[in-house]
Amino acid sequence: MNKKKHRKITKDSVTSVLYPLLFGAVIVVLWQTQILHKILGTDTFVLPLPDRIFTIIGDNMGAIMENVKATVIVSLGGLILGSALGYLLGMIAMAFPKWGAGGLTVVSAFNAVPIIAIAPILNNLTKDFSEDANTRSMIAKTLVVTITCTVAMSINAFRGFTELKPFSLDLMKSYAANKATIFFKLRVPNSLPYVFTALRVSVPASIISALVSEYFAEYIIGVGRQIRENIVLAQYATAWAYIVVACAIGIVLYLILLFAEGILLKNRRPRWKSV
Amino acid sequence: MKTNKNKMMKLCALVLVAAMVVMVFTSCSGSKSSEASTDGTAATTAGKYYASDATAESIVKDAAAKGKVGNWGLGNEYEIQALLSKFGQDTKYLSQAFDMNGFDDDSILLASAMTYNELGLVKNSYKGGYKYGDGVKYIDMNEQGVAMLEDNLFTTKKFATENPNTTKAFIYATLKGWEYACANPEEAAEIVYKSGSSVSTEHQAYMAAEVKKLVETDTTGSAVKNYGNMDETAMQQTLDLAKKYIKLSDSTAASKLQTLTLNDIRDTSYLKDAAASAGKFGKLEKTSVKVQLKWLPQAQFMGYYVALSKGYYKDVGLTVTIVPGGGDIGETTAVNSGQVDFGVTWVSNLIAANAGGMNLVEVAQVFQRSGLVLVYKINK
Repeated sequence: MNKKKHRKITKDSVTSVLYPLLFGAVIVVLWQTQILHKILGTDTFVLPLPDRIFTIIGDNMGAIMENVKATVIVSLGGLILGSALGYLLGMIAMAFPKWGAGGLTVVSAFNAVPIIAIAPILNNLTKDFSEDANTRSMIAKTLVVTITCTVAMSINAFRGFTELKPFSLDLMKSYAANKATIFFKLRVPNSLPYVFTALRVSVPASIISALVSEYFAEYIIGVGRQIRENIVLAQYATAWAYIVVACAIGIVLYLILLFAEGILLKNRRPRWKSV
Repeated sequence: MKTNKNKMMKLCALVLVAAMVVMVFTSCSGSKSSEASTDGTAATTAGKYYASDATAESIVKDAAAKGKVGNWGLGNEYEIQALLSKFGQDTKYLSQAFDMNGFDDDSILLASAMTYNELGLVKNSYKGGYKYGDGVKYIDMNEQGVAMLEDNLFTTKKFATENPNTTKAFIYATLKGWEYACANPEEAAEIVYKSGSSVSTEHQAYMAAEVKKLVETDTTGSAVKNYGNMDETAMQQTLDLAKKYIKLSDSTAASKLQTLTLNDIRDTSYLKDAAASAGKFGKLEKTSVKVQLKWLPQAQFMGYYVALSKGYYKDVGLTVTIVPGGGDIGETTAVNSGQVDFGVTWVSNLIAANAGGMNLVEVAQVFQRSGLVLVYKINK
């Protein structure tokens, strides 16, 4: 039984890793052999070959890492702040369920505000936060990411707190558990999978909003800013190098998230399936 | 049970209050910034700016030390970097937005401005102006010997070779438009305004008068009679500074940049032929062409709008569509990909594009001197 289960997981994980990898490899081969260029009707100027892109990445590792650091600090900082704020909002909505759900709908309207609209506004609002341009533009960028990450978390946290397993609330009440106990013993653990659902949306969103907010920042640094600068200067190969780096950041952070999820939710998963 | 419920309610209320306090605090600090900026303007008399007789060197050194030199970047920064280097400063600068708010609120002490655009907004009191009048002075890149040539007319080498008559006819009619516009800047401003202007009529008129100076004066301050002339010395200075300050991460492009000569970036033959012709060009290879501007419709490009509205393009047998730029539109990319036939860009942008692998060629140099200045406030 155990062995069978083990083999099944291996097969699943092999296919789920192998197929995307194979697909990626095929694309890279088509790209390098310029068949992709013929299919898309483009040239090696706008879409440079992979070897050139990777040469640029190799040549500029130091400068690239400096920009990566700036982008990752902003996206992670905003992700943590936004998620914490969202979780808090979810809690408030749970405590006052009558208007909580409606309130969250209002909060979710924030998600409709485009990043390109709030980024310049926050830039102006944070101008007096620090004498150092790098610091104050970091704050502005982090706030943009915070706003984008809050909504997903608040809605999911609210669902995690309120969509409890049938009878579990009745069970707690039959033990005469007070609200605090119900909250910490039932609602918080119940919200964990929902938190990860929110993070799966927020992690890519945090990187995208960090990249875009860099376009408007006062201090010139970050992967997104480099993409823009190089495209405007018609340096497409360098721009592509930074695009590849941006993708890598997204993939690495997402993998870290999946890894953390696997560890934290490991004991819960089988029980979830059996329910 | 009841007390527990109350406790819970109290806890939630506390959390809510805390959240509100945080929100109020953040919005407070937000409004503080605007208060501080008004204080800043009031403090002009206290002497926090520059003496009206201060040297360019002392101002640049002070602003650079404070990290308050601004530029838009995106290929507009090389003259500023050359000036910073000239005075032994680090070439870092603040990213300046496309308005002058950063200069107004003192987050930028030495701000980049084009004589025909931002400088007018800073000085003048018409709509959108910051009304500084004589309260500001500026450092001129031409006087500092770091001028790089700006608005030109370019196409791809392939287009020019395959369509020589069209290229000559387009240059001829365009320069005729510029000639008329410079002779009648007010009328030119009016024409641009009607063609879908991005700014007010007053600012358009100011811009036309300033652009006229750039078209008819060279970097040394002498008058230029032959419109579109590609002055060897100024072009060479532009190329030399470009090689020094355009930093390319792509090693292939970076080494190509260093090998570029004037012959790789400009061709004077089309301009010569256009000037020698009397508006007759034989059979045009292509009669319908598009020209991509570097920015939104404004008097900076009045020559093209005048040539179109006065029928100069029609006279040489061309149907011309003017495509306005704006934002991150890459005029070099648009021309290189064949979406448009001609483009207006800064010479340094063309150099960077050719280093990156494009085959662009300048066929006329419309602006004869740099229009970039660094503007600063003076103590009253």
